[in-house]
Amino acid sequence: MSFTEREILETIRMVALETLDIRTTTLGINLLDCADPDIEATCEKIYAKIVHHGEALVSVADSIAADYGVPIVNKRIAVTPISWVAAACGSKDLVPLARALDLAASEVGVDFIGGFSAYVHKGFTRADDAVFSSIPQALAETERVCASVSLGSTRAGINMDAVARFSDIILDTASRTAASGGLGCAKLVCFCNAVEDNPFVAGAHLGVGEAETVLNVGVSGPGVIRSALERLGSEKDLVAVAETVKRTAFKVTRIGELVGREAARRLGTSFGIVDVSLAPTPEIGDSVSDILEMIGVDRTGAPGTIAALALLTDAVKKGGAMASSAVGGLSGAFIPVSEDQGMISAVKDGALSLATLTGMTSVCSVGLDMVAVPGDTSASMLTGIIADEMAIGMVNQKTTAVRIIPVPGKGPGETVEWGGLLGTAIVQDPGSYAADIFHARGGRIPAPLQGYKN
Amino acid sequence: MPRRFLTAEDVRRAGSGPLEVSSETLVTPHARQVAEELGVRLVTGGGDWAPGPPDRGPDAEGARRTLPHLPEPDGDDTEGSVIVTAVGLNRPGVLAELTGVLSEVGASIGDVSQRMIEGFFHMVLIVNIPQGCDFGELKKKLECLGGTDDYAVNVMHERAFRFMHRV
Repeated sequence: MSFTEREILETIRMVALETLDIRTTTLGINLLDCADPDIEATCEKIYAKIVHHGEALVSVADSIAADYGVPIVNKRIAVTPISWVAAACGSKDLVPLARALDLAASEVGVDFIGGFSAYVHKGFTRADDAVFSSIPQALAETERVCASVSLGSTRAGINMDAVARFSDIILDTASRTAASGGLGCAKLVCFCNAVEDNPFVAGAHLGVGEAETVLNVGVSGPGVIRSALERLGSEKDLVAVAETVKRTAFKVTRIGELVGREAARRLGTSFGIVDVSLAPTPEIGDSVSDILEMIGVDRTGAPGTIAALALLTDAVKKGGAMASSAVGGLSGAFIPVSEDQGMISAVKDGALSLATLTGMTSVCSVGLDMVAVPGDTSASMLTGIIADEMAIGMVNQKTTAVRIIPVPGKGPGETVEWGGLLGTAIVQDPGSYAADIFHARGGRIPAPLQGYKN
Repeated sequence: MPRRFLTAEDVRRAGSGPLEVSSETLVTPHARQVAEELGVRLVTGGGDWAPGPPDRGPDAEGARRTLPHLPEPDGDDTEGSVIVTAVGLNRPGVLAELTGVLSEVGASIGDVSQRMIEGFFHMVLIVNIPQGCDFGELKKKLECLGGTDDYAVNVMHERAFRFMHRV
């Protein structure tokens, strides 16, 4: 037999008991050719192009899942940032474009479509301005559309005017979706060093350097890594821990590589990247927090958490890099608070504060993700939180993001249920001191020296 | 250069005669609806226009050539086969049930191994399925064998194992 029985049973165990899955197959579709002076025609073209290219995505993903026995949990679409597509129509209200995206997503059967987006890390075009103004209503009216904005980069610095405006947009979106606990904000994210081939929502979009269509894959597998560390035991040293994570991440990524190749081949498109990310879900055992505790911190948020997360993120990347020539996207470990059972419980027990969480984002692959704050959080407080996060990304030359939800009518310690993948959150206390003058100053935080690389 | 899209407005502007549409043009669903309402016939090269496959772009053309030929992990003699595993309480007839379904579709067994661990059997079969055999159908039949208090069957292409365990 070419495979040992141990190898075969290991694979079966990963899928059946340790929630190994492909978290997303995301088809990127370029919409630049949909630009039209007439907004209705733009909508018509966007809808037609997405449906034309996307209609086979779900059936192809399902057929691969059946053939290879690995679940493909989500099928999604990422499109060109809508501000570039909408520029030609000159409309100030771009909600109709969000409706067209939503309708197309529903028609092809994907749960989310990313790309109601704008790049404003250096400044606003008229179309970027229109995207910003349209985001709250677009997210309130649509079910599947995700919005993202680029607010800073290592090369450009941080556009603080945009950060301040984005804070208002978060509050506006939360209030327009108050009945569902501010759920609109779960579909809204800002980035420093935005990634143009990110297959994961809410930040998925197809950057300007990308192909006409491209298939990207996001793997997952916190449960697999947790179980591998459980088998390793607590006596082995941290090099053994890193090695175990690396080997396991290699195996997980190989499945992503296989699915990516096969999905691209069956769709007749090019294969973009495998995003090697540990993406938790609210399911028990599918938790990044559990891995950190398995590495050896008493509770996630305790001293040692950032170091353990640094080891984990790095080992995942190293294992992934050996497994695929196309590692890209965000790749690392996600720490979305409400989507990770272990993190929810750490917040509930007072082990994980917002400050520690911010520290963790300097070594994870994204940033402050699915964090609930009180509904009466001020715009200047949000500006401070976002600016801190953007600064971590800018100086460390990494992607950072903020997906924060001010939950209308809720205060610190209260619980909000979003359901499904988005999970449950405990409203966290951002403290009583904000950054009023910092918020009002506006302008730009200049690019750091590490941005001047030429 | 042919137009990228044909919109409803393009159809309205074109009047009532047949409208020539390039095979490279994407006719929007709205345009099709308006054409039908106005009685405008969409034609391509003399015949009725029909939607073509999506044009995935220039990179996709290259990918279609290269993707099937990317180096694959070495699989020795198992390439193309299917791996069937069964785990459960030991009782007579399990192997017969599995092989019964396999023989119905004309599959041959390349290798089989079984071991008992703490009263549970773990069985692995490497199966070669004939050309034209519906993999999905076979998988469904095999995975329906056994039951919650009996045994569980899992069927996967060997390629998944090859990618995970071989470089």
